[in-house]
Amino acid sequence: MAIGKAISRVEAGDKVTGAARYTEDVRVAETAHAVLLGSAISAGRVRGIDTRRAERAPGVLAVITHLNRPDFAAVPPTPYTAEGRMPLVDDRIHYAGQYIAVVVAETREQAEHAATLVVVDYHRTSPVPTLDAALSQAYIPRENGLARVPSEYRRGNAEAALAAAPVRVEEEYRTAALSHAPIEPSSTLAYWEGDRLTIYDSTQSVHMHRPLVAIAFGVPEDRVRMYCSLVGGGFGNKSYSWPHVFLAPMAARVVRRPVRVTISRKQVFTGTGHMAATVQTVRLGADQDGRLRALIHDSVNQTSFIDDRQETASAITPYVYAVPDLYARIRVTKVNTGTGGAMRTPGDSAGAFALESALDELAHRLGMDPLELRRRNHADVDPVSGRPWSGKQLLACYDQAAERFGWDRRNPEPGSARDGDDLIGYGMAGGQRTEHQRPAQATVDLTDDGTAVIRSSMVEIGGGGLTTLSQIAADGLGLPTAAVTFQHGDSALPAAAPTFGSMTSGSTGSAVKLAAADALRAAIDLAVGDRRSPLHGADPDDVVAHEGGLRLRDRPGDGESYRALLRRNRINTLRGDGDFQPEGEDAEHAMATFGVHFTEVRINRYLPRVRVVRHVAAFSIGRVLNAKTARNQAQGGIIMRLGAALMENQRPDPVSGRFISPALTDYHVPVNADIGEIDVIFVEEPDTNANPLGARGLGEICAVGICASVANAVHHATGKRVRSLPITPDKLL
Amino acid sequence: MDETTRESPPSRRAFLSRSLTAGAGLAALGGTGTATAAAPAVAAAAAVDPPETLPVSLTVNGRRRTLRTDPRTSLLDALREDLGLTGPKKGCNQGACGACTVLLDGTRILSCITFAVMFEGAEITTVEGLADGDRLHPVQRAFVEHDGFQCGFCTSGQITSAVGLLAENPRPSTAEIKELMSGNLCRCAAYPNIVAAVESAAEGRS
Ligand code: FES
Ligand code: FES
Repeated sequence: MAIGKAISRVEAGDKVTGAARYTEDVRVAETAHAVLLGSAISAGRVRGIDTRRAERAPGVLAVITHLNRPDFAAVPPTPYTAEGRMPLVDDRIHYAGQYIAVVVAETREQAEHAATLVVVDYHRTSPVPTLDAALSQAYIPRENGLARVPSEYRRGNAEAALAAAPVRVEEEYRTAALSHAPIEPSSTLAYWEGDRLTIYDSTQSVHMHRPLVAIAFGVPEDRVRMYCSLVGGGFGNKSYSWPHVFLAPMAARVVRRPVRVTISRKQVFTGTGHMAATVQTVRLGADQDGRLRALIHDSVNQTSFIDDRQETASAITPYVYAVPDLYARIRVTKVNTGTGGAMRTPGDSAGAFALESALDELAHRLGMDPLELRRRNHADVDPVSGRPWSGKQLLACYDQAAERFGWDRRNPEPGSARDGDDLIGYGMAGGQRTEHQRPAQATVDLTDDGTAVIRSSMVEIGGGGLTTLSQIAADGLGLPTAAVTFQHGDSALPAAAPTFGSMTSGSTGSAVKLAAADALRAAIDLAVGDRRSPLHGADPDDVVAHEGGLRLRDRPGDGESYRALLRRNRINTLRGDGDFQPEGEDAEHAMATFGVHFTEVRINRYLPRVRVVRHVAAFSIGRVLNAKTARNQAQGGIIMRLGAALMENQRPDPVSGRFISPALTDYHVPVNADIGEIDVIFVEEPDTNANPLGARGLGEICAVGICASVANAVHHATGKRVRSLPITPDKLL
Repeated sequence: MDETTRESPPSRRAFLSRSLTAGAGLAALGGTGTATAAAPAVAAAAAVDPPETLPVSLTVNGRRRTLRTDPRTSLLDALREDLGLTGPKKGCNQGACGACTVLLDGTRILSCITFAVMFEGAEITTVEGLADGDRLHPVQRAFVEHDGFQCGFCTSGQITSAVGLLAENPRPSTAEIKELMSGNLCRCAAYPNIVAAVESAAEGRS
C-alpha cells in the first residue's frame, strides 16, 4: 500500500534543481511585457491621464487606460471573478493601487520606465479609511453571489437564554487584515490566435477560471485554454481571477502579441486580496458546571466599495458546540480598500480567535480547566442538522494532544510559571472546519509498458496532491508510485476540483480512485475474456491488482502483468474514467474536520515579546494519505497562523486607507528563527462516509484555533487578556 | 577564493567596488538614474538616452557567458530572461524574501537588488549548478528526503542559501541554522523541515 506512506514528493527532483516550471518560467516567443500602474489615491476619479511621454518611450507598444481600452464582452460572475467591477471600465477609484493604466513594451524594464512617465490628474474625494471609521454603517450583505453563507443563523432564543444564564462572558475581539503573501507573485501570460486564447495563469484552478475569462472576452469556453501546473503558494489569493488576469488578454489583443503581466510584490498586497479585518462580539452564557446555555457571535468585516464580501467569522459557530440557544450574524461595511478574498482558513480562523478566547475567559471565570469546559460541551451530533458526524475524533484529539503536551502539569493560576525573567504560559483552543466537496473528474490510463498516467486538471500548490493522488492510483492498480505519472494543470484535461477549500484529497482524490478502479475493471474484463490469459474464465470478482498486474485473490501464483496482457491484445492504453459527485446537502452524515491546539509561550518580563516555544496540535481528518506531506502542510498552517497571532497586520493608513506595509520588509511573516518546536498528531479513522477514499481536507483545519491558543497562553503567562490581534509587545506593557 | 568566502559580512567590499564600476559606467553614458525619475521629466527627456544595452561576460554554473543587457537589468532578470535559467525566483524584487539567492564566488547574494552589468568576470552559481550531473548535491538530497518545501517557489533560494551557509559554517548549531536561514522566507512555512534538511546535510547524512 502506498497510501499513508511517508514517500517523497513526486515533483521533488524538479523543485530542488530549479527545473520546476511556474507560470513566470513559461517562455513564449515574441512576448511583450505589461506593467500595471496603480492609483496613488484611494477614493475619487481620474480627471485626466497623460500618456504621451510614456507612449514615446523606447520600446513601448501601447498604453491602455479607461479612455482607450477595448470593451469587455460581459462581467463574469463573482465570487471567482475577484472584483465585480472590471478593470479600467471607468474613471472611478475605489482603493489605492487600483489599476488605472497598462503599459506594454518590448521588455519589462522599458515598461516599468514608461509607467513612471504617465502623468495622472486625480480628483480626490474623502475616503473611508478603516473598519473602525465604518463600523457604525455595518449591514447585512445582499445576496449577490459573494455572500458565501447565510448572514444570520438562529436556534432557540439566545438573548433570553443569555439573560437567564448564571455565568456570562461578553467581550469584543478584533482580528487584523492579513495578507496571503505567497512568495510567487501572480503572473498571467496570454496570447490570441484568432478567437482562440491561450493563457498561462498562476491560478489554483484552471477549470474554475477559464469560463470567467471566456465570458469577459465573449468567446466560447472551448476556445480558451488555460494552463497552470505549479503554483508558488496561493493560500486562497489565487483562487480568484483578479483584475490583472483580464488585463493580460486585453493587452495581448491590443498589441497583437503574447503579453505577460507579472504583478509587483506591492501589487500582490494591494491587488490580490487579503483576509479582511474583523470586529466580533461573543456573548456566552453558561451554568455553574460549565454547560453552555447561550451563544451569540456577531461579526463585522471590512469590504470594498466594489463588492460585499464576507469574512465569514461566525459561520462555523453554530456547528461547534452543543449550545441550545444560539445566534450568529455576519455583517460587512464599506472601506476604501481592495476587495478581500478567502485566505486560509476563511472565516473560521478569525472566528475561532473570538469564540475560543471567549471560552477560555469563561473557563477562567468558572475556575474550570479550559479543556474540560470543551469536553462538557462536545457536540456529539451536528447541532445544526442533528445528523451524526462522520468520523469525528475530537475527543481523542483532546486526549492525545493534551498528553503529548503535558497539559496536566499546568497550574491554572495566571503568572504562576516562571523561568528566570521569562513568564511561561500554557494555552489551548479548538478548531473546526466544514468539509467541502465538489464534483471532480479524472482518468487513469493503464499503458502497455506497465505504467499508469493520471489525467486531471489539478494544480499543485504545495499541498502534495501530485504525490498523494499518484499514491491513490498506484494502490488502485497495484503499481509502485514511481510507475504513475500525472498530466495536470491544463484545462484540456478532465476537470479537477479546485486546489482550494481543502478539496484535493476528498474530491479530486476520489475521482482518481474511481478512475483507477475503472481501469482495473477494464483490465480484469480483458483478462478473463482472453483465452490466452492465465486468468481466462475466472470470476472477475476473484481477480485483484498485484505488483504490476493481475492475479487471483486466492491463488497468488495465477496471474499476469498488465504489460503482457495489453501487448498480447495490442492495446496501448486502457482508460479508466472517474467522476466524483459529492452527496451534497442530503448526505446522511455531517462532514467536518476538527483540531485542537496546545501552546507554550515564553515572555520576557522586561521586553514582552511573545515567543512560541512549543506547539502541539492534533487533527481529525479521516485518513492521512501521505504522512510526510501531511505533516509538512499541518506545520505550515500552524506557523502561518502563528504569524497572525504575533506579527501580521496589514494596517490601513488612518487617513487614506492605503495599506501602510505592502512589502515583505514591513509586513512581517514568520521566518525560520521565529519557530519553536511544532508537533502534529493525526487521529486517523478512514472516513468512507465522506467519500470513497476516506480522507478529508487538511490544508485549512490545520490553521484554525492557533491564534486563540496563543492568546490563551499569553493570558496564562501574564494575566493579561489580549483581545486584539496581533499580540505585539506594546499590548503587554 | 578561500579569502572571499570567509569575508563577513559576505562580499560587502566586492559589492561596493562593483557598484562603483557600474555607477561610473552609467554616469559616463548619460545617467539612467535621472532619466527614470518621474519628477524632472522635461530635463531628463532632453538628456542623452541611456545605452540600450551593455556587454557583460560572466561565468554561470561553470560556463562562460557573454550577453548584452539593459543596464537597468538586475542580475536576477539577466539570469532568468537573458540566460534562460528558471531556478532563481523573483519573489519580491526588493531584497526581502531570498527567493533569488545565488552564489557569487561561493558567497550567497540576492540577485534581485544588484545590476547584471556589475558582474563582469564574476563566477555565479545558481541552484541549477549544484548537482553533479544526475547526482544531486547533498543539500538537494536532504531537501528531498526531509520534504523541505511545499510549493517549492522559495526552494531554489533556500537550497543555494543553505549551500552558502555550510560554506561559511560547516558545523552550524540548530539555532545558527534558524538564524542564518532567516533571510529566506517560506510562506508555506516548511521551516522545521528546512532546518532538518540543513542539519542532516551538515552532518553528511544525506
Ligand atoms: S526576489 Fe530577491 S530577495 Fe526577494
Ligand atoms: S515552499 Fe512555498 S514558499 Fe517555501
